[in-house]
Amino acid sequence: MGKEDREVRMSLQTLKVLEAFLENPTDQLSGAEVHQRCKLASGTLYPILLRLEAAGWFVSRWESINPSSAGRPRRRLYRLTPTGLKRASEVFASFNRGVLA
Amino acid sequence: MTSERMVDWMDKAASCLVQHAARRTPEPLSARLEEEWLADLAERRSGFSRLRLGIGCYWATYSIAREQRAATVALARSQLAHANVAGFTTENATLFSRRTVTFLLVASLHAAVLLGLAVGVGSKFIKKTPTEFVVDHIDKVLPRIDPLPPVKPDLNTITVDPPKPVDKLTFEPDPPAVAGDVKEAPPETQGGTGPSNPPAVTINRVQGGPGIGFPSAHDFYPPSAIRREEQGIATVSACVDARGRLTSDPKIIQSTGSQRLDEGALTLAIAGSGHYRATTENGKPVDSCYAFRIRFDLKN
Repeated sequence: MGKEDREVRMSLQTLKVLEAFLENPTDQLSGAEVHQRCKLASGTLYPILLRLEAAGWFVSRWESINPSSAGRPRRRLYRLTPTGLKRASEVFASFNRGVLA
Repeated sequence: MTSERMVDWMDKAASCLVQHAARRTPEPLSARLEEEWLADLAERRSGFSRLRLGIGCYWATYSIAREQRAATVALARSQLAHANVAGFTTENATLFSRRTVTFLLVASLHAAVLLGLAVGVGSKFIKKTPTEFVVDHIDKVLPRIDPLPPVKPDLNTITVDPPKPVDKLTFEPDPPAVAGDVKEAPPETQGGTGPSNPPAVTINRVQGGPGIGFPSAHDFYPPSAIRREEQGIATVSACVDARGRLTSDPKIIQSTGSQRLDEGALTLAIAGSGHYRATTENGKPVDSCYAFRIRFDLKN
């Protein structure tokens, strides 16, 4: 998947995902944690995560644990990129202007 | 099935769904998504939540596969654009996005429905009115034609012969059987012990006929017979039970001379079932057959 900065079709569900990450932009969240924060169904959540990653708004990496010793599989952790942070902030700022006007 | 078994079954089903769903995604993603989804599955607490995750992952594969295909097509188009061949195609792809295509589809459907209502389908439901009213002036006054006087059949056309009020039937009993050399029995003496002749049985029989509520012949006068001015008297035989209902089909005993009037008489006799007056014997209604007459008469 390309990591270039691309336009992302904004939907209410995408905004919810971005909002979950904007609470603390330095957080690295797994899919399960994002689900707990924004209460989206998995069938909606994972395509959005992949879409934002492909657009360059997110980066992801594997959790640095040994699955055999931890007794569970590794989690995939997502984090906002600087570009993603900037674009998400712009999107929410534009929405806020519309609401306040 | 116990609750533990149910939870185990849901865990297995969720795992199978996640693995199967991940394998349906394009190759570079399938291994990653399988591990990622299984890790997220392990963090879910309840069996229902895991099962929901599995179903959701299965649903997500459709979106992911579609977006992957779109990305592949976009990549191929961008390569063609570099070769200065597919610039127009890329522009068109941007122009006709999925939202635009959906909008055009909905708009075309609306247009088709409106066109259908205006042209074909609407004409079945909308009654057209003439756009112009043409007024013709009639110079010549036509002579007035008086309508023919209506033919009024006589309402009192049914004539039923009234039954005789009382028929006294006298039955003489057979003489008692005589055995051997027994001579004629002596006349009955008071206080005798021998058999005596039984008294004569008298039955008061009142013949039935059309009763209260019996339909009028006027209602069953055949219109074709009225037009032909046919008249006549039909004699009909009817078999009626104790409740005044027909027990068999009535029959024409004496025809009017017109088949139409005979059919009307039979129809009338059938329609009157339940309104016949039963024949009585000693005041008790009994089954019987009798004849009565129906007169179709036109009187102006």
